[in-house]
Amino acid sequence: MINEKLLIMDPENVKAQMRKGVLEFCILSLLSKGDGYATDLLNKLKESELIVVEGTLYPLLTRQKNAGLLSYRWEESTQGPPRKYYALTDKGREVLKELQSAWKGLIDSVDSIVNQ
Amino acid sequence: MKKTLTINLANQVFHIDEDAFYRLREYLDRIEAHFSDKDERSDIVSDIETRFGELFAQKISPQKQVIILQDVEEIIRIMGDPAEIGGDEQAEERDYSASASKPKRLYRDPDNRVLGGVCGGIGQYFKIDPLIVRIVFLVVFFGFGIGLLIYIILWIVVPEARTTAQKLEMRGDPVNATNIGNFVKDEFENVKKTLKGKKR
Repeated sequence: MINEKLLIMDPENVKAQMRKGVLEFCILSLLSKGDGYATDLLNKLKESELIVVEGTLYPLLTRQKNAGLLSYRWEESTQGPPRKYYALTDKGREVLKELQSAWKGLIDSVDSIVNQ
Repeated sequence: MKKTLTINLANQVFHIDEDAFYRLREYLDRIEAHFSDKDERSDIVSDIETRFGELFAQKISPQKQVIILQDVEEIIRIMGDPAEIGGDEQAEERDYSASASKPKRLYRDPDNRVLGGVCGGIGQYFKIDPLIVRIVFLVVFFGFGIGLLIYIILWIVVPEARTTAQKLEMRGDPVNATNIGNFVKDEFENVKKTLKGKKR
């Protein structure tokens, strides 16, 4: 079985855990600025190096959708098959607000410790 | 010269080399096995298939109409290993507990059969050479006359290991994404070897 202690000492793994924690928050933020389909989101998240492997995104989208934070509709595309466009639901907007204040709190807490 | 297959990926048609197809099949099987929640799984797999379709479409041109193994490998690297995609630690843990509580099962082994695969299956179960089991059956048959009867009863009663999961259970290997992947790969290698053998 995986040895937790060993994993925590590996900086790559710590970085991965950090990214994982904020990824859901970032997806909601991106979608609050306008509906999007998975590949749009992927490109933005990859640009800002929040996602390393693309596959990570799909389970998150599906889970957020199943939790009622997102809804989706199919839209025709000029290139290729119809695309799944995701949009924030009211519940999603509420959760996003909560996460935004939690994120600000976290930055302040971490800053105050790091810059002590 | 290579044989190609035609596949339907997210309602798009692609021509794909045979080796590339098996690599893709194995990857998608592992993704599927990785997600334990049924509702989640079908959505995730179809989203990933759609993305494969999108990336495949970028790989083909009038000069290159077939998806080759290299394309599939490259896209799999972009998509990531099921373990990396993860986010489903609970499923991994469940895999462990399932494998711990699930002992080996006795199946008839269709890949190692003379008649019904009974001796092959018993050999797998006790991790002994099926040849020894066969000899014991023959001795019991000629010595006491009931070997054949036992064999026929076992043939009827013991189920055949048909699916990959059953074959893993037969060997006593835990049924999880990695093992299914390895098994499918082995099977493919075997098929390749037999085909090569026949050509000569």
